[in-house]
Amino acid sequence: MKKNPEQEIDQSARFAFSFFVASAGLWLLAAALLAYIAAAKLTDPLFLSSLEFFTYGKIKVSQANAFVYGWGGNSIFAVSLWIIARLSQSLVRGSIFLIFAGAIWNLSITFGLLGILDGHMLGHELLEMPKQVWPALLVSYLIIAFIIFVVFRSRKQKVTIAPQWFIIAALIWFPCLFLFGWSGLELNPGRGTLQSILSIWFGQNVIWLWLTPVALGCAYYIIPSVLNRPIDKYYLAVFGFWCIAGLAPWSVVHHLEGGPVPMWVPAIGTVMSIAMVFPIAVASTNFHSTAFQDVSKVWNYLPLRFVIFGTLSYTISSYIGVIFSLPAVAKLTQFSIINEFHFNQRVYGFFSMIIFGIVYHILPQITGREIGTAAKNFHFWTSALGVFALLLAYLVGGLTHGVLGQQPSLAWATVIESVKPYFLITEYAFLILGFSQLVFVLNLWKVLVPNPFASSDRQANLKTA
Amino acid sequence: MSKENQTSEEIRSSGMKDDELVNKHVRLNQIKHEPTKGFLQAPLIFVFVFGCLIFVCSIQLAHTTNDFQLHPPKEIVELTPEEKEALRLDRKISSGEKIFAVRCASCHQGNGLGIAGQYPPLAGSKWATANPEIITNIILKGLKGEIVVKGETYGTSAAVNMAAVAINDREIANVVTYVRQAWGNDANEVFEDEVASTRAGSVEQQDQWTGDQLISMYPDSFSN
Amino acid sequence: MNNIFKFSIYIFLTLSFAWLAFVVGATNQYGDLEPTAESLEEDGSIPPDAELFPKSMAGIAQLGAKEYLSLGCATCHTQQVRSEEAGFDVERGWGKRPSVPRDYILQEEVLLGHNRVGPDLANVGMREYSSEWLHKHLFMPQSVVEGSICQPSPFLYEENKEASVDSIEITNGETNIFIKPSLRANRIVAYLESLHQNYELPEIAFSDILEEDQSVEIASAVAEPETIATAFPSWLSEQMESGKEIYMKVGAGGGLCYTCHQINGQGIPGAFPPLTGSDWVLGDKERLIKLSIHGLMGEIEVNGEKYNGVMAGFGIQAGGPPLNDQQIADVLTYIRNDWGNSASAISPEEVASVRNSVKDRAPNQMWTAAELQSNSSPD
Repeated sequence: MKKNPEQEIDQSARFAFSFFVASAGLWLLAAALLAYIAAAKLTDPLFLSSLEFFTYGKIKVSQANAFVYGWGGNSIFAVSLWIIARLSQSLVRGSIFLIFAGAIWNLSITFGLLGILDGHMLGHELLEMPKQVWPALLVSYLIIAFIIFVVFRSRKQKVTIAPQWFIIAALIWFPCLFLFGWSGLELNPGRGTLQSILSIWFGQNVIWLWLTPVALGCAYYIIPSVLNRPIDKYYLAVFGFWCIAGLAPWSVVHHLEGGPVPMWVPAIGTVMSIAMVFPIAVASTNFHSTAFQDVSKVWNYLPLRFVIFGTLSYTISSYIGVIFSLPAVAKLTQFSIINEFHFNQRVYGFFSMIIFGIVYHILPQITGREIGTAAKNFHFWTSALGVFALLLAYLVGGLTHGVLGQQPSLAWATVIESVKPYFLITEYAFLILGFSQLVFVLNLWKVLVPNPFASSDRQANLKTA
Repeated sequence: MSKENQTSEEIRSSGMKDDELVNKHVRLNQIKHEPTKGFLQAPLIFVFVFGCLIFVCSIQLAHTTNDFQLHPPKEIVELTPEEKEALRLDRKISSGEKIFAVRCASCHQGNGLGIAGQYPPLAGSKWATANPEIITNIILKGLKGEIVVKGETYGTSAAVNMAAVAINDREIANVVTYVRQAWGNDANEVFEDEVASTRAGSVEQQDQWTGDQLISMYPDSFSN
Repeated sequence: MNNIFKFSIYIFLTLSFAWLAFVVGATNQYGDLEPTAESLEEDGSIPPDAELFPKSMAGIAQLGAKEYLSLGCATCHTQQVRSEEAGFDVERGWGKRPSVPRDYILQEEVLLGHNRVGPDLANVGMREYSSEWLHKHLFMPQSVVEGSICQPSPFLYEENKEASVDSIEITNGETNIFIKPSLRANRIVAYLESLHQNYELPEIAFSDILEEDQSVEIASAVAEPETIATAFPSWLSEQMESGKEIYMKVGAGGGLCYTCHQINGQGIPGAFPPLTGSDWVLGDKERLIKLSIHGLMGEIEVNGEKYNGVMAGFGIQAGGPPLNDQQIADVLTYIRNDWGNSASAISPEEVASVRNSVKDRAPNQMWTAAELQSNSSPD
């Protein structure tokens, strides 16, 4: 049988893609476990308290890092590699280097997390892993990004389209961001709160300029591809892209409102956050006006259902985020667990959901094996429920926390007492999410590792089909 | 199971091929947008909203950046001397009120009337409103023995015993000022340095004062 | 957009513009701040011999900052007092003034944080916590702050059954244990104690919200750090807690007890009788309830000492609004069970029945000790 070009590309990307997706899945499980421990420690502070390895702060920080760099990083490599290769219509070469660099990346993160748990944490947001692991992370990242760039350079159609912009830009942003952060925090640390500005700028931008664009790129790819209709109002996409590029790096510092930094820093951040309604509106118009032309397909094709869940969550919570950056509201919610809402909606509700969808879309094409619909459905509904419960608890809990915390007459213990029920809900939500992620990894396992006993069945199926 | 998977596969295979996807979007980008019926209004609304937003943002920026200064703005509230004076006295009295509530009201009551037969009233009492040194002295050293207040005799067995409690001149000035101006009392304000000089003048008094002692020290205050 | 090199440069530029503003711009603006005096001369120079602020931390505190960081405390605690437009941090008593950039210039680890699951710590060294309290809190936060969700760090301490030099006693239910802080625990406590922005700077004065308010601050600060031992069943500790609040409280719904009987329940010799170990408190309930409703006057003998004074009743309209049955029950239960006292709790029903039995008594007619003693049933 002669393979068509798409299948050849899939074949060339198969090895690296499977490796990255498998490691991403394992990191996702690790992060889910850490997230559950952290949530359980908030409801029962005595849980695992006698072990120095497991203080709440360490667990929380290593969970964020495992999630962003372990799950986020690996899945970004996997989906960018595949989407870029398919859109460029060119084969992936140098898989062995990809695997090698990926192994270094994963090992460095492992050492980094162990370093955090062992008490060698750095005090900068999402840059907490000990300084020894960062050079290795950077080098392995550059190798992977370089190979993806080579694929991109050899594209057939020289004019680029939206998914390519977002993914390539994200790949460029991360190392630049890292070098800026590293130079200002470790090589030549600024004095006093200069460090804090850079720290928050780096930490928030990792989410905004690395995870977010990749997920948006995936959505820009999968929606037209599956629905067989081009993105509606596509001429807005370029505007949306440059809006995110131009505004996001400015908007993130609004978290410093009222803090010991010059007032113009958070003021600019706030204004730029308000201006972010444009790129959000553009992306949401593009996605939803395309997707809602064929709702039944969106609903019936599960990967797309995941992606649309993600884009809807992106739209809604980004607008909530804009509201919470307004000074009058920030006054209440600034240091409350609303911050957890922002982080979790972005990494779970938006990024992870889209990645789940795209991985479910890619895997059968790469391996030729379908994933059971029931298993996928189960994964979808548990994820949706978990994300919904988690975000709702953090949102309502955060508002309670913020509003009560702003009443000077209430003792702090009273404030926390009224937030406790929400911590309990998040504990259950993380339990559900952990369970659904276990299902995800089992699904991956079933597809990636051929089952010798099932193979004859499958062939029989194929024959009958 | 296989049937459902077939639908998945069908949907996928009915999708766009990637080269087609690229080419379609590239073409879309070249023609920008196809003129439709709503084409004219949509960008106009867009431009309008964009303009409004930029306007709002620049106002916000101008108001909150503090002129790009490093230090937070100093709040310079221009008050007339009278307003400043009123504000100062206001704060002093409210501080005095709080001190009174904590340290005095348990006996003299919040309304300053004391308890008949046991604790003398402060409202309308000469002991409080005449020479401020009297009440200051009582607070500093305490008071024992019988005194006559507003025609009634009080045996002060549970004496005023503030000397046991650390209280500084400023707090005494505040609370005395409060007592002298509350509940219809209308005596003049007492200042910290006056309390300090009273304190200095009474160092030799080791014991609590007696009423007679104070009356003989300040005969003018009790003359009528 | 189709040339990857041009595209990369644009992408890089979008990021670097923001970096130029927030890092290069801000460094240029205040990267060279120096310590300064609390107030400057007219010409802007630092007065000779003036004390300079902020001061650098002691060596042990700097090591403590590293421990604080490595345990992840910054995940839940901020170290910044926001400006008055941005929040009520100053009103909450988390600092005498908002924090400014200069406060942090000498810190190696700047841990502003951005989550307040726990309270802000920018001025924790200024609050009235003893180092013993801080050690107890580090060892087991729940032993000093009931309901705290702060994580205990028992691995920083050596636990013993016996007291030893510099060990700290912790009551844990019925048993007492003694903990000996390790070097690391001492570093962290030294760090926490060194955290205070207790000085004015030319650019920021103490906030005037809290001025002239010290007396009330003292009362609440004393009331806060101590909490009631957790050995009681929950209904009792609830009563105790509410009782303690009434005991301490000034104004409506408060008993204002502590101004005479003192916070430790010892009274003032010669003036106000003690509540600790007193038969009047621990003995007959009915007598205690009666005197707290209508008040007590005249001579009374407590613990072998004679006192002569007046206590206004709480159950009738006197200085302020009267306490209700529940409140009286709570405060009496509290005084019967704190400071080493231990006696049965008093329920609101008991108060109600006593109140009913004396309802004919005129509101201003206080009890005398003699009257109460003859009434009380000899049981």
